[in-house]
Amino acid sequence: MNDRTAGGAAEGKPVVLVEGVHKRFGPVHVLKGIDLAVDRSRVVCVIGPSGSGKSTLLRCMAFLDRYDEGRVHIEGRLLGYREVGGKRVLDSERNIDSVRSVIGMVFQHYNLWPHRTALGNVTEALRVVKKLGKAEAEAIGMEMLAKVGVDDKAHDYPARLSGGQQQRTAIARALAIRPHVMYFDEPTSALDPELVGEVLQVMQELASEGMTMVVVTHEMGFAAHVADEVVFMDGGEVIERGPPDDIFKRPRSDRLREFLDTWRARAI
Amino acid sequence: MSFDIDIVFRYGPLLLSGLWTTVYICALASLLAVAAGLAAALLYSLPSRLLKLSCRAYIEIMRGTPILILLFIIYYGGPSVGLTLEAETVGIVGLGLYGGGYFAEIFRAGFQSIPPGQIEAARMLGIPRRAIIVRIQIPQMLTLIIPPSTNQVIILVKESALLSIITVAELTKNTTQMVNETFAVVEPYVAVALLYWLIVEGIALAGGRLERRFGHAS
Repeated sequence: MNDRTAGGAAEGKPVVLVEGVHKRFGPVHVLKGIDLAVDRSRVVCVIGPSGSGKSTLLRCMAFLDRYDEGRVHIEGRLLGYREVGGKRVLDSERNIDSVRSVIGMVFQHYNLWPHRTALGNVTEALRVVKKLGKAEAEAIGMEMLAKVGVDDKAHDYPARLSGGQQQRTAIARALAIRPHVMYFDEPTSALDPELVGEVLQVMQELASEGMTMVVVTHEMGFAAHVADEVVFMDGGEVIERGPPDDIFKRPRSDRLREFLDTWRARAI
Repeated sequence: MSFDIDIVFRYGPLLLSGLWTTVYICALASLLAVAAGLAAALLYSLPSRLLKLSCRAYIEIMRGTPILILLFIIYYGGPSVGLTLEAETVGIVGLGLYGGGYFAEIFRAGFQSIPPGQIEAARMLGIPRRAIIVRIQIPQMLTLIIPPSTNQVIILVKESALLSIITVAELTKNTTQMVNETFAVVEPYVAVALLYWLIVEGIALAGGRLERRFGHAS
Protein backbone atom coordinates (compact mmCIF):
# COMPACT_ATOMS: atom_id res chain seq x y z
CA MET A 1 0.00 0.00 0.00
CA ASN A 2 2.95 2.28 0.40
CA ASP A 3 3.85 4.25 -2.63
CA ARG A 4 7.55 4.79 -2.06
CA THR A 5 9.97 6.78 -4.10
CA ALA A 6 13.44 5.32 -4.19
CA GLY A 7 15.90 7.74 -2.66
CA GLY A 8 19.54 8.16 -1.78
CA ALA A 9 22.77 6.97 -3.30
CA ALA A 10 23.57 3.81 -1.37
CA GLU A 11 20.76 1.84 -2.97
CA GLY A 12 20.49 -1.72 -1.79
CA LYS A 13 22.59 -1.17 1.31
CA PRO A 14 20.71 -0.88 4.61
CA VAL A 15 20.52 2.62 6.05
CA VAL A 16 20.70 1.14 9.52
CA LEU A 17 22.40 -2.17 10.22
CA VAL A 18 22.40 -3.62 13.74
CA GLU A 19 24.52 -6.71 14.32
CA GLY A 20 24.59 -8.73 17.53
CA VAL A 21 24.00 -5.78 19.81
CA HIS A 22 24.15 -6.40 23.56
CA LYS A 23 23.41 -3.90 26.28
CA ARG A 24 23.65 -4.30 30.02
CA PHE A 25 22.64 -1.88 32.73
CA GLY A 26 24.76 -3.20 35.60
CA PRO A 27 23.64 -6.79 36.15
CA VAL A 28 20.55 -6.41 33.95
CA HIS A 29 21.01 -7.79 30.45
CA VAL A 30 18.65 -5.55 28.48
CA LEU A 31 19.57 -6.43 24.90
CA LYS A 32 20.71 -9.96 24.13
CA GLY A 33 22.18 -9.93 20.66
CA ILE A 34 19.86 -7.95 18.42
CA ASP A 35 20.14 -8.01 14.62
CA LEU A 36 18.21 -5.58 12.48
CA ALA A 37 18.54 -4.19 8.98
CA VAL A 38 16.53 -1.21 7.80
CA ASP A 39 16.58 -0.66 4.04
CA ARG A 40 16.00 2.67 2.41
CA SER A 41 12.38 3.85 2.33
CA ARG A 42 11.26 1.02 4.55
CA VAL A 43 9.27 1.38 7.74
CA VAL A 44 10.18 -0.96 10.57
CA CYS A 45 7.95 -1.01 13.64
CA VAL A 46 9.26 -2.48 16.86
CA ILE A 47 6.58 -3.75 19.22
CA GLY A 48 6.66 -5.59 22.50
CA PRO A 49 5.69 -5.37 26.15
CA SER A 50 7.08 -2.68 28.45
CA GLY A 51 10.60 -3.50 29.53
CA SER A 52 11.23 -5.69 26.48
CA GLY A 53 14.18 -3.49 25.50
CA LYS A 54 12.68 -1.87 22.42
CA SER A 55 13.33 1.72 23.51
CA THR A 56 16.83 0.79 24.65
CA LEU A 57 17.46 -0.73 21.24
CA LEU A 58 16.42 2.50 19.53
CA ARG A 59 18.58 4.53 21.92
CA CYS A 60 21.55 2.26 21.19
CA MET A 61 20.87 2.70 17.48
CA ALA A 62 21.27 6.45 18.11
CA PHE A 63 24.12 5.94 20.58
CA LEU A 64 22.19 7.80 23.27
CA ASP A 65 22.90 4.63 25.23
CA ARG A 66 26.22 2.92 24.58
CA TYR A 67 25.91 -0.66 23.40
CA ASP A 68 28.39 -3.08 24.95
CA GLU A 69 28.85 -5.61 22.17
CA GLY A 70 27.99 -5.84 18.51
CA ARG A 71 27.83 -3.14 15.91
CA VAL A 72 25.50 -0.42 14.71
CA HIS A 73 26.21 0.87 11.22
CA ILE A 74 24.53 3.98 9.87
CA GLU A 75 24.84 4.14 6.08
CA GLY A 76 27.85 1.89 6.32
CA ARG A 77 29.65 3.84 9.07
CA LEU A 78 30.19 2.33 12.51
CA LEU A 79 28.35 4.37 15.15
CA GLY A 80 29.94 5.24 18.48
CA TYR A 81 33.17 3.30 18.26
CA ARG A 82 36.39 3.21 16.30
CA GLU A 83 38.46 0.14 15.58
CA VAL A 84 42.08 0.74 16.58
CA GLY A 85 44.42 -2.20 15.97
CA GLY A 86 41.58 -4.70 16.25
CA LYS A 87 40.40 -3.13 19.50
CA ARG A 88 37.32 -1.05 19.88
CA VAL A 89 37.52 2.41 21.44
CA LEU A 90 34.93 5.07 22.02
CA ASP A 91 34.78 7.40 19.05
CA SER A 92 35.21 11.16 19.35
CA GLU A 93 32.12 13.25 19.88
CA ARG A 94 32.70 14.93 16.53
CA ASN A 95 32.71 11.61 14.68
CA ILE A 96 29.67 10.35 16.55
CA ASP A 97 27.85 13.56 15.62
CA SER A 98 28.91 13.11 12.03
CA VAL A 99 27.71 9.49 11.78
CA ARG A 100 24.36 10.22 13.37
CA SER A 101 23.79 13.47 11.49
CA VAL A 102 21.55 11.51 9.09
CA ILE A 103 19.27 10.38 11.93
CA GLY A 104 16.26 12.41 13.01
CA MET A 105 14.82 11.40 16.36
CA VAL A 106 11.42 11.92 17.92
CA PHE A 107 10.94 11.18 21.61
CA GLN A 108 8.03 10.06 23.72
CA HIS A 109 8.04 13.27 25.75
CA TYR A 110 8.69 15.55 22.74
CA ASN A 111 11.69 17.16 24.47
CA LEU A 112 11.02 20.58 22.97
CA TRP A 113 12.95 23.46 24.46
CA PRO A 114 10.39 25.45 26.44
CA HIS A 115 12.21 28.77 26.14
CA ARG A 116 12.05 28.71 22.34
CA THR A 117 8.96 29.15 20.19
CA ALA A 118 7.85 26.32 17.92
CA LEU A 119 9.72 28.00 15.09
CA GLY A 120 12.72 28.61 17.36
CA ASN A 121 12.83 24.90 18.16
CA VAL A 122 12.83 23.99 14.49
CA THR A 123 15.41 26.56 13.42
CA GLU A 124 17.90 26.01 16.27
CA ALA A 125 19.94 23.28 14.58
CA LEU A 126 19.73 25.07 11.23
CA ARG A 127 21.28 28.16 12.81
CA VAL A 128 23.83 26.50 15.09
CA VAL A 129 24.80 23.37 13.15
CA LYS A 130 24.09 24.23 9.53
CA LYS A 131 25.06 27.88 10.15
CA LEU A 132 22.18 29.23 8.08
CA GLY A 133 21.14 32.87 8.29
CA LYS A 134 18.03 33.79 10.23
CA ALA A 135 15.81 34.34 7.20
CA GLU A 136 16.84 31.16 5.45
CA ALA A 137 16.49 29.07 8.62
CA GLU A 138 13.05 30.53 9.29
CA ALA A 139 11.91 29.85 5.74
CA ILE A 140 12.87 26.18 6.12
CA GLY A 141 11.40 26.15 9.63
CA MET A 142 8.05 27.44 8.39
CA GLU A 143 8.09 24.91 5.57
CA MET A 144 8.63 22.08 8.07
CA LEU A 145 5.96 23.38 10.45
CA ALA A 146 3.53 23.64 7.52
CA LYS A 147 4.35 20.07 6.57
CA VAL A 148 3.20 18.85 9.99
CA GLY A 149 0.33 21.36 10.14
CA VAL A 150 1.43 23.60 13.01
CA ASP A 151 2.62 26.62 11.01
CA ASP A 152 -0.17 28.68 12.57
CA LYS A 153 1.48 28.09 15.96
CA ALA A 154 5.00 28.99 14.80
CA HIS A 155 5.40 31.86 17.23
CA ASP A 156 3.87 30.15 20.26
CA TYR A 157 5.93 28.64 23.05
CA PRO A 158 5.59 24.88 23.58
CA ALA A 159 3.64 25.36 26.81
CA ARG A 160 0.81 26.88 24.75
CA LEU A 161 0.62 23.94 22.36
CA SER A 162 -1.38 20.75 22.82
CA GLY A 163 0.53 17.49 23.17
CA GLY A 164 -0.20 16.60 19.57
CA GLN A 165 1.00 19.97 18.35
CA GLN A 166 4.13 19.66 20.46
CA GLN A 167 4.92 16.24 19.06
CA ARG A 168 4.30 17.44 15.50
CA THR A 169 6.65 20.37 16.19
CA ALA A 170 9.23 17.88 17.44
CA ILE A 171 8.82 15.94 14.18
CA ALA A 172 9.30 19.18 12.21
CA ARG A 173 12.43 19.91 14.25
CA ALA A 174 13.88 16.51 13.42
CA LEU A 175 12.94 16.84 9.74
CA ALA A 176 14.58 20.25 9.42
CA ILE A 177 18.06 18.75 9.28
CA ARG A 178 16.97 16.58 6.31
CA PRO A 179 17.59 13.20 7.94
CA HIS A 180 17.90 10.03 5.87
CA VAL A 181 16.19 7.98 8.56
CA MET A 182 13.72 8.91 11.30
CA TYR A 183 13.58 7.18 14.69
CA PHE A 184 10.38 7.40 16.68
CA ASP A 185 10.50 6.34 20.33
CA GLU A 186 6.89 5.71 21.38
CA PRO A 187 5.84 9.01 19.84
CA THR A 188 2.20 8.77 20.89
CA SER A 189 2.51 7.13 24.32
CA ALA A 190 2.40 10.42 26.23
CA LEU A 191 -0.54 11.80 24.27
CA ASP A 192 -4.19 12.02 25.20
CA PRO A 193 -6.06 9.42 23.12
CA GLU A 194 -7.84 12.02 20.98
CA LEU A 195 -4.50 13.54 19.92
CA VAL A 196 -2.85 10.31 18.83
CA GLY A 197 -4.42 10.35 15.37
CA GLU A 198 -2.93 13.66 14.23
CA VAL A 199 0.59 12.50 15.04
CA LEU A 200 0.14 9.10 13.41
CA GLN A 201 -1.23 10.81 10.32
CA VAL A 202 1.91 12.95 9.98
CA MET A 203 4.03 9.83 10.39
CA GLN A 204 1.98 7.98 7.79
CA GLU A 205 2.49 10.85 5.34
CA LEU A 206 6.21 10.73 5.94
CA ALA A 207 6.22 7.01 5.28
CA SER A 208 4.31 7.44 2.05
CA GLU A 209 6.85 10.02 0.91
CA GLY A 210 9.52 7.38 1.20
CA MET A 211 11.11 8.29 4.52
CA THR A 212 13.06 5.46 6.10
CA MET A 213 11.62 4.97 9.56
CA VAL A 214 12.15 2.95 12.70
CA VAL A 215 9.17 3.23 15.01
CA VAL A 216 9.00 1.86 18.53
CA THR A 217 5.31 1.86 19.25
CA HIS A 218 2.31 0.49 21.09
CA GLU A 219 0.06 1.54 18.20
CA MET A 220 -0.69 -1.84 16.64
CA GLY A 221 -3.01 -0.26 14.09
CA PHE A 222 -0.21 1.94 12.82
CA ALA A 223 2.20 -0.98 12.71
CA ALA A 224 -0.34 -3.11 10.87
CA HIS A 225 -1.09 -0.50 8.22
CA VAL A 226 2.14 1.38 7.69
CA ALA A 227 5.02 -0.96 8.53
CA ASP A 228 6.89 -3.00 5.95
CA GLU A 229 8.33 -5.10 8.70
CA VAL A 230 7.23 -5.62 12.28
CA VAL A 231 9.72 -6.74 14.90
CA PHE A 232 8.38 -8.25 18.10
CA MET A 233 10.72 -8.05 21.08
CA ASP A 234 10.45 -9.59 24.52
CA GLY A 235 13.01 -10.00 27.28
CA GLY A 236 15.73 -8.26 25.29
CA GLU A 237 15.43 -10.56 22.27
CA VAL A 238 13.74 -10.42 18.91
CA ILE A 239 11.15 -13.20 19.17
CA GLU A 240 9.56 -12.82 15.80
CA ARG A 241 9.76 -10.57 12.76
CA GLY A 242 8.02 -10.31 9.43
CA PRO A 243 5.44 -8.47 7.37
CA PRO A 244 2.58 -7.07 9.48
CA ASP A 245 0.11 -9.58 8.07
CA ASP A 246 2.17 -12.51 9.35
CA ILE A 247 2.87 -10.95 12.72
CA PHE A 248 -0.67 -9.88 13.50
CA LYS A 249 -2.64 -12.63 11.75
CA ARG A 250 -0.34 -15.64 11.93
CA PRO A 251 1.84 -15.33 15.03
CA ARG A 252 4.12 -18.33 15.38
CA SER A 253 5.37 -17.97 18.94
CA ASP A 254 3.39 -18.25 22.13
CA ARG A 255 4.84 -15.07 23.50
CA LEU A 256 3.66 -13.00 20.52
CA ARG A 257 0.25 -14.67 20.63
CA GLU A 258 -0.01 -13.84 24.32
CA PHE A 259 1.09 -10.25 23.74
CA LEU A 260 -1.46 -9.77 20.97
CA ASP A 261 -4.22 -11.34 23.07
CA THR A 262 -3.46 -8.98 25.94
CA TRP A 263 -3.47 -6.06 23.58
CA ARG A 264 -6.76 -7.09 21.96
CA ALA A 265 -8.39 -7.63 25.35
CA ARG A 266 -7.36 -4.13 26.33
CA ALA A 267 -8.41 -2.56 23.05
CA ILE A 268 -12.04 -3.59 23.48
CA MET B 1 20.79 59.22 74.89
CA SER B 2 21.10 61.67 72.02
CA PHE B 3 21.86 61.03 68.39
CA ASP B 4 24.48 63.47 67.10
CA ILE B 5 23.91 63.57 63.36
CA ASP B 6 26.79 66.04 62.93
CA ILE B 7 29.35 63.34 63.61
CA VAL B 8 27.99 61.36 60.68
CA PHE B 9 28.25 64.35 58.36
CA ARG B 10 31.75 65.14 59.58
CA TYR B 11 32.87 61.63 58.79
CA GLY B 12 30.84 61.50 55.57
CA PRO B 13 33.86 61.41 53.25
CA LEU B 14 35.49 58.59 55.23
CA LEU B 15 32.26 56.57 55.21
CA LEU B 16 31.72 57.16 51.50
CA SER B 17 35.26 56.11 50.68
CA GLY B 18 34.63 52.92 52.70
CA LEU B 19 31.35 52.42 50.90
CA TRP B 20 33.07 52.68 47.53
CA THR B 21 35.75 50.17 48.56
CA THR B 22 33.11 47.73 49.79
CA VAL B 23 31.13 48.10 46.58
CA TYR B 24 33.97 47.52 44.16
CA ILE B 25 35.55 44.70 46.15
CA CYS B 26 32.18 42.96 46.37
CA ALA B 27 31.46 43.56 42.68
CA LEU B 28 34.76 41.98 41.63
CA ALA B 29 34.44 39.20 44.20
CA SER B 30 30.92 38.41 42.94
CA LEU B 31 32.18 38.20 39.35
CA LEU B 32 34.94 35.84 40.45
CA ALA B 33 32.47 33.81 42.52
CA VAL B 34 30.06 33.42 39.59
CA ALA B 35 32.90 32.46 37.24
CA ALA B 36 34.42 29.97 39.69
CA GLY B 37 31.00 28.53 40.53
CA LEU B 38 30.00 28.14 36.89
CA ALA B 39 33.33 26.52 36.05
CA ALA B 40 33.04 24.09 38.96
CA ALA B 41 29.44 23.19 38.06
CA LEU B 42 30.36 22.63 34.40
CA LEU B 43 33.41 20.51 35.22
CA TYR B 44 31.27 18.57 37.66
CA SER B 45 28.87 17.65 34.87
CA LEU B 46 31.62 16.06 32.76
CA PRO B 47 32.04 12.29 32.93
CA SER B 48 35.58 12.41 34.45
CA ARG B 49 35.77 11.06 38.01
CA LEU B 50 38.88 13.06 38.82
CA LEU B 51 37.22 16.33 37.79
CA LYS B 52 34.14 15.46 39.81
CA LEU B 53 36.26 14.76 42.88
CA SER B 54 38.27 17.98 42.46
CA CYS B 55 35.11 20.05 42.15
CA ARG B 56 33.56 18.34 45.15
CA ALA B 57 36.73 19.01 47.16
CA TYR B 58 36.68 22.69 46.18
CA ILE B 59 33.02 23.06 47.13
CA GLU B 60 33.43 21.22 50.44
CA ILE B 61 36.55 23.18 51.43
CA MET B 62 34.89 26.51 50.68
CA ARG B 63 31.71 25.58 52.48
CA GLY B 64 33.53 24.01 55.38
CA THR B 65 35.93 26.85 56.15
CA PRO B 66 34.86 30.02 57.96
CA ILE B 67 35.50 32.95 55.63
CA LEU B 68 37.68 34.66 58.23
CA ILE B 69 39.98 31.62 58.45
CA LEU B 70 40.19 31.49 54.67
CA LEU B 71 41.16 35.18 54.59
CA PHE B 72 43.81 34.61 57.29
CA ILE B 73 45.24 31.67 55.39
CA ILE B 74 45.59 33.66 52.18
CA TYR B 75 46.70 36.92 53.82
CA TYR B 76 49.05 35.67 56.53
CA GLY B 77 49.87 32.24 55.11
CA GLY B 78 50.31 33.38 51.51
CA PRO B 79 53.75 34.97 51.97
CA SER B 80 55.18 31.69 53.32
CA VAL B 81 54.52 30.11 49.90
CA GLY B 82 55.69 33.22 48.04
CA LEU B 83 52.22 34.67 47.59
CA THR B 84 52.23 38.20 48.94
CA LEU B 85 49.05 40.00 48.03
CA GLU B 86 47.59 43.39 48.85
CA ALA B 87 44.89 43.20 51.49
CA GLU B 88 42.26 44.28 48.94
CA THR B 89 43.35 41.61 46.50
CA VAL B 90 43.13 39.02 49.25
CA GLY B 91 39.63 40.30 49.96
CA ILE B 92 38.53 39.93 46.34
CA VAL B 93 40.14 36.50 45.86
CA GLY B 94 39.05 35.20 49.27
CA LEU B 95 35.44 36.32 48.99
CA GLY B 96 35.33 35.27 45.33
CA LEU B 97 36.60 31.73 45.90
CA TYR B 98 34.44 31.37 48.99
CA GLY B 99 31.31 32.51 47.16
CA GLY B 100 32.27 30.28 44.22
CA GLY B 101 31.72 27.20 46.38
CA TYR B 102 28.14 28.27 46.97
CA PHE B 103 27.52 29.43 43.41
CA ALA B 104 28.76 26.05 42.18
CA GLU B 105 25.91 24.36 44.04
CA ILE B 106 23.39 26.91 42.74
CA PHE B 107 24.51 26.32 39.15
CA ARG B 108 24.65 22.56 39.63
CA ALA B 109 21.04 22.57 40.79
CA GLY B 110 20.23 24.74 37.77
CA PHE B 111 21.83 22.33 35.32
CA GLN B 112 20.07 19.40 36.96
CA SER B 113 16.73 21.13 36.56
CA ILE B 114 16.88 20.80 32.77
CA PRO B 115 15.31 17.48 31.74
CA PRO B 116 18.00 15.25 30.15
CA GLY B 117 15.65 14.62 27.22
CA GLN B 118 16.11 18.22 26.08
CA ILE B 119 19.86 17.68 25.96
CA GLU B 120 19.43 14.38 24.10
CA ALA B 121 17.22 16.08 21.53
CA ALA B 122 19.93 18.69 21.00
CA ARG B 123 22.66 16.03 20.78
CA MET B 124 20.66 14.17 18.14
CA LEU B 125 20.48 17.36 16.09
CA GLY B 126 24.26 17.64 16.24
CA ILE B 127 24.24 20.77 18.39
CA PRO B 128 27.69 21.03 20.02
CA ARG B 129 27.99 20.81 23.80
CA ARG B 130 29.03 24.43 24.21
CA ALA B 131 26.01 25.65 22.29
CA ILE B 132 23.77 23.38 24.37
CA ILE B 133 25.09 25.00 27.57
CA VAL B 134 24.87 28.56 26.30
CA ARG B 135 21.67 28.39 24.24
CA ILE B 136 19.59 25.71 25.92
CA GLN B 137 20.66 25.12 29.52
CA ILE B 138 21.70 28.52 30.86
CA PRO B 139 18.73 30.53 29.51
CA GLN B 140 16.33 28.08 31.17
CA MET B 141 18.32 27.99 34.39
CA LEU B 142 18.24 31.76 34.81
CA THR B 143 14.75 32.02 36.27
CA LEU B 144 15.64 29.30 38.72
CA ILE B 145 19.07 30.54 39.79
CA ILE B 146 18.49 34.29 39.97
CA PRO B 147 16.80 34.31 43.42
CA PRO B 148 19.46 32.17 45.19
CA SER B 149 22.22 34.05 43.33
CA THR B 150 20.85 37.36 44.54
CA ASN B 151 20.88 35.95 48.06
CA GLN B 152 24.43 34.76 47.66
CA VAL B 153 25.68 38.19 46.54
CA ILE B 154 23.90 39.78 49.50
CA ILE B 155 25.59 37.34 51.88
CA LEU B 156 28.91 38.11 50.21
CA VAL B 157 28.44 41.85 50.83
CA LYS B 158 27.73 41.25 54.49
CA GLU B 159 30.68 38.86 54.86
CA SER B 160 32.89 41.57 53.37
CA ALA B 161 32.72 43.36 56.76
CA LEU B 162 35.31 40.78 57.89
CA LEU B 163 37.85 42.31 55.50
CA SER B 164 38.25 45.05 58.12
CA ILE B 165 40.17 42.52 60.18
CA ILE B 166 42.80 42.12 57.47
CA THR B 167 43.12 45.93 57.23
CA VAL B 168 41.10 46.62 54.10
CA ALA B 169 39.78 50.18 54.37
CA GLU B 170 36.21 49.22 53.62
CA LEU B 171 33.00 50.35 55.24
CA THR B 172 33.36 48.53 58.56
CA LYS B 173 37.06 49.35 58.96
CA ASN B 174 36.41 53.07 58.37
CA THR B 175 33.49 52.99 60.77
CA THR B 176 35.70 51.46 63.44
CA GLN B 177 38.17 54.27 62.85
CA MET B 178 35.33 56.76 63.31
CA VAL B 179 34.36 55.10 66.59
CA ASN B 180 37.94 55.21 67.84
CA GLU B 181 38.35 58.85 67.00
CA THR B 182 35.00 60.17 68.29
CA PHE B 183 34.22 57.74 71.10
CA ALA B 184 30.70 57.75 69.67
CA VAL B 185 29.25 54.28 69.11
CA VAL B 186 25.62 54.58 68.16
CA GLU B 187 25.94 57.12 65.35
CA PRO B 188 28.71 55.37 63.39
CA TYR B 189 27.18 51.91 63.64
CA VAL B 190 23.66 53.05 62.78
CA ALA B 191 25.04 54.99 59.83
CA VAL B 192 27.05 52.03 58.58
CA ALA B 193 24.10 49.68 59.05
CA LEU B 194 22.03 52.01 56.85
CA LEU B 195 24.74 52.07 54.20
CA TYR B 196 24.94 48.24 54.12
CA TRP B 197 21.19 48.16 53.93
CA LEU B 198 21.32 50.50 50.93
CA ILE B 199 23.75 48.21 49.07
CA VAL B 200 21.71 45.13 49.90
CA GLU B 201 18.47 46.75 48.78
CA GLY B 202 20.13 47.78 45.54
CA ILE B 203 21.17 44.17 44.90
CA ALA B 204 17.73 42.85 45.79
CA LEU B 205 16.15 45.38 43.43
CA ALA B 206 18.48 44.40 40.59
CA GLY B 207 17.81 40.71 41.27
CA GLY B 208 14.07 41.30 41.13
CA ARG B 209 14.43 43.14 37.80
CA LEU B 210 16.48 40.32 36.32
CA GLU B 211 13.96 37.79 37.52
CA ARG B 212 11.11 39.63 35.82
CA ARG B 213 13.13 40.13 32.66
CA PHE B 214 13.98 36.43 32.26
CA GLY B 215 10.83 35.10 33.83
CA HIS B 216 8.88 35.39 30.59
CA ALA B 217 10.92 32.87 28.67
CA SER B 218 8.26 30.22 28.65
